[in-house]
Amino acid sequence: MSTLKHKGKGPQAMTANELVSGLNVWMTTDYGWSRDYADALLTEDDDQISIMDETAKAEEFANTVVGAYFIDTVDGKPARYRERFRTHGPSYDTAALINQERV
Amino acid sequence: MYRYDEFDAEFVNSRVAQFRGQVERRLDGRLSEAEFRPLRLMNGLYLQLHAYMLRVAVPYGTLRTDQLRMLAHLADKYDKGYGHVTTRQNMQFNWPALSDVPDMLSDLATVDMHAIQTSGNCIRNVTCDPYAGATADEIEDPRPLAELIRQWSMLHPEFSFLPRKFKFAVTASPHDRAMIKGHDIGIQIVKNDAGEVGYHIIVGGGLGRTPVLGETLCAFLPKADLLPYLTATMRVYNRFGRRDNKYKARIKILVRDTGIADFTKLVDDEFATLDVNDTAVSQEECERIASYFEPPTFDTNIKAIDLDSQPEAFRKWVATNVAPHIAPGYAIVNISLKNPERAPGDITAEQMRAVADLADRESFGEVRTTHQQNMVLPHVRQDALRAVWDGLVAAELEDANINLIGDIICCPGMDFCALATARSIPVAQAIAERFSDHDRQQAIGEMQIKISGCINACGHHHVGHIGILGLEKSGVEFYQVTLGGDATHTAAIGDKMGAGFSQDELVDGIERIVDFYMGERSGSERFLDTYRRLGTAAFKEALYAST
Ligand code: SF4
Repeated sequence: MSTLKHKGKGPQAMTANELVSGLNVWMTTDYGWSRDYADALLTEDDDQISIMDETAKAEEFANTVVGAYFIDTVDGKPARYRERFRTHGPSYDTAALINQERV
Repeated sequence: MYRYDEFDAEFVNSRVAQFRGQVERRLDGRLSEAEFRPLRLMNGLYLQLHAYMLRVAVPYGTLRTDQLRMLAHLADKYDKGYGHVTTRQNMQFNWPALSDVPDMLSDLATVDMHAIQTSGNCIRNVTCDPYAGATADEIEDPRPLAELIRQWSMLHPEFSFLPRKFKFAVTASPHDRAMIKGHDIGIQIVKNDAGEVGYHIIVGGGLGRTPVLGETLCAFLPKADLLPYLTATMRVYNRFGRRDNKYKARIKILVRDTGIADFTKLVDDEFATLDVNDTAVSQEECERIASYFEPPTFDTNIKAIDLDSQPEAFRKWVATNVAPHIAPGYAIVNISLKNPERAPGDITAEQMRAVADLADRESFGEVRTTHQQNMVLPHVRQDALRAVWDGLVAAELEDANINLIGDIICCPGMDFCALATARSIPVAQAIAERFSDHDRQQAIGEMQIKISGCINACGHHHVGHIGILGLEKSGVEFYQVTLGGDATHTAAIGDKMGAGFSQDELVDGIERIVDFYMGERSGSERFLDTYRRLGTAAFKEALYAST
């Protein structure tokens, strides 16, 4: 059963995780994937949404991404706090300190 | 320390080979995510908010130095140069790629480590007093018991698909450093009036959305009956635990709904049907396991250290981070992983290697992880304390804040966790920053702040002297406070205060209650003592004084 069905409100974006790296990606205007939310396709157009849905299913089937789902957006940003947070990564990561130390 | 026998090694290696095949099949599409997910979870691999996360088991928090160096190697080679010590004494890596995980597990297997049973509805990593084998107040080293439970529970065919996950904690000390009342089963090694050593079994504790303290299931269980009795308890849970609602599936709900008296009867009835000789382990096997935990040969000729001639920072560190040892002339060293600028529990690969080197030189090659997200060198000569401190200073691990307000337990929260409702790491950092002055921390005295990023309570907020729960409403994080929780032998679930705070308001509110306590405390009262004496209302008033 598909988990991709669009049930949201307002402009939709499609997100997933890359299968190999696990990193977050968003579907782009050419129906590819980007790790940068700024590249995400946000649309209320039913035809586009349907292509996004089918593309994401196909990409999951092709094992490039995992766990694809639509998210609601408001004023260009994800509506839910969690989804907003996902677009910019951890606000703190010890990795950043290590990199500073290693420079 | 315990070393795998041939059976363990063969089993772990075959699991690595199986998982390598499963990952290959996942990557080339022969396995779907739905098929693969339970397999990766059985091997400790989660998909979190931003990436995969691998949780490596550290059984009862005991590490050999080759194992700690291996964790450092994993951090450097496959992750981003650090690991995170969890409240279950395990170590997590936040950024592994799926394609690297088989190699990570294969590397771990070379030092008797794995990530099995760090997820799923099975018996999870057994946690233990981090001072085991080193503290004078224990009846015996509890780690052979923990190891026995590990072996018994590892892939136990009957208990691999329980209604929900299941957590054991063990201690042999009346001063509970393992939070045994907060576990599905907590075991305290005790002596009865006849002087025999046995087990006090506590059941039905747990935090999460329904915090409950465990109750006594059996006040004194003879040693020989342990595994049959645990088998009987697990069977009762397996049969009657709820599988229809995951929020009601933990044993604490079964015990609460059944009542401890009836639950005990169910266990006793089941126990009566078992042939003890079928399940119990032989005395020889118990002795074989215990032989791995023989204490090292301690030097009996150690000169006392002249603290007065040492630098003040060292003296402060000794006063805060060093605990008495059972052997004269030795000490237990707590290594704080609570630098205010870092996430509680995080340790870099370089720091892991530094700790391993110190342990090899000064602690018989042993390291512990603690449920308070710190590390311990269990057996340090007192005349080597200065050398250890110098080594910790060089590794930036010299924070002198064990059990003080800066020693905050904190789950990864929204910064990493897919289930989180709010961040917890920045809150811990803001509190640590506000109280960064060491003398102020000392003056405040024993204080346990515990922070969870959601109701699942991995940060143990219910049992914090000050507990903080991160929530979110309409896109804004806010934090609820509980006061008066206690994770020790005087365990208590904290009292919920009222409306939540923004992060900034929260830090001010905490400062107000700390100042209130400082003003009201009598003699050497700890925060918890003053809270218990004055009661909730007075502290609540202080908490909300400016709002
Ligand atoms: S308490 Fe919640 S946010 Fe924190 S680690 Fe557990 S599940 Fe994640």
